[in-house]
Amino acid sequence: MSQGVMQSDVGNHGLVLDPRTKLLLLITMAVFVLGGTGTAALWFLTPSLCILPLVLLLSAKKFISAVLYLTVYLATYSVFHFVGPKTTGVPNFLLLGTAGIITRFMPSVMMGIYVVSTTTVSEFTAAMQRMRVSERLVIPMSVMFRFFPTVADEFSSINAAMRMRGVSFAGKNAGKMLEYRLVPLLTCSSKIGEELSAAALTRGLGGDIRRTNVCEIGFRVLDYAMILVCIVPFIMLILRWFEVSVF
Amino acid sequence: MKNEKLKGKDLINVGIYTAIYAVITFAIAMLGYIPIFMPLLCVIGPIIAGIPFMLFLTKVKKFGMILIMSILMGILMLLTGMGYYSLIIGIVSGLLAELVYKSGKYKSSSKAVWTSGVFSIWIWGNYIPLFTNIEGYFSTRQDYGQEYIDALTRLMPTWMCPTLLAAAIISGIIGGLVGKAILKKHFIKAGIA
Repeated sequence: MSQGVMQSDVGNHGLVLDPRTKLLLLITMAVFVLGGTGTAALWFLTPSLCILPLVLLLSAKKFISAVLYLTVYLATYSVFHFVGPKTTGVPNFLLLGTAGIITRFMPSVMMGIYVVSTTTVSEFTAAMQRMRVSERLVIPMSVMFRFFPTVADEFSSINAAMRMRGVSFAGKNAGKMLEYRLVPLLTCSSKIGEELSAAALTRGLGGDIRRTNVCEIGFRVLDYAMILVCIVPFIMLILRWFEVSVF
Repeated sequence: MKNEKLKGKDLINVGIYTAIYAVITFAIAMLGYIPIFMPLLCVIGPIIAGIPFMLFLTKVKKFGMILIMSILMGILMLLTGMGYYSLIIGIVSGLLAELVYKSGKYKSSSKAVWTSGVFSIWIWGNYIPLFTNIEGYFSTRQDYGQEYIDALTRLMPTWMCPTLLAAAIISGIIGGLVGKAILKKHFIKAGIA
């Protein structure tokens, strides 16, 4: 996952969607699948929304992620519904818990992977500018998304180095775990940050003039279709609220 | 340098430290599945995340940086399905934290510790749905299993609500003190802070 997160050259975009549409898709997934809003009443909603990331991943030619998603999701879903009710006590707790967390998180995580791997930072910035979001939020946000994989990368390297020196839960210096991991992480992150800001400043970030952007973004037919797909569950939710207050 | 607009460099710094802060918070939040750790997140989170936060504060010299970080954390919580409460709380507590740090002219290190305490209030926002709407909260989490729900309900009587708020602030202050000690031990020597 560390390659291709909001990189500047994304080879195939698959279905070309506007970044704003992708954001709406992400929010819809977060509200209905991850947040689980209204799933008790709209039981068919979650599974149908879960198909979306699969289709999008396939369209972006991310076959490995798509197949992995399909297998893991189907496996946990069937465990949850067929094996789960037959167990009790601690195994039930563990089994339902693990399956529940995976079925809840995986679709949104997959959607997140699709969004960050098919959107470039420039496209993201362009979309945000179109939405009139202040630059004070756009710049930190794009830096943040760009920086997540870097933090994860650095952390795993530091982890490996520290394990070699016996600073781990199993090793003899378990008490120093936190300090010996966080301090190097912060040191190298702040160095990388300085380089990043130097690079960005030479490209005119933070100047007084409004920056131009070469990315062509805009809503196409496909975007409208996706927006429709996203709006339907929200409308159903609102209708349901209305119904509840009437009766 | 004072009373200036936020420049590109400041905004990039906000982004970088928010990323570190968020990664640490999410790593800790994974513990929340074990019911006993759920209320403890309020304590562990701010203490550990206090270390990067204190380093971040040494880079803060202008009004708005802490507020932006707080809003970004709120947006992240919204995107990861924790609800909108932490965004609302985060805007208020971020502004308060900003004012506390500003009163120390953006360099007082004892004010920085207090700032860390006030800033940590945002994490309390994640717990609000547990108290205001407990049935609603669990109706969306049925798939965690009844045992989890029972264990968590036992752990979360109403008096826990103010307790958690106090816990967030106090552990934020502890995190600030730990962060300050680590800054002194490592970063000032290395010329980073």
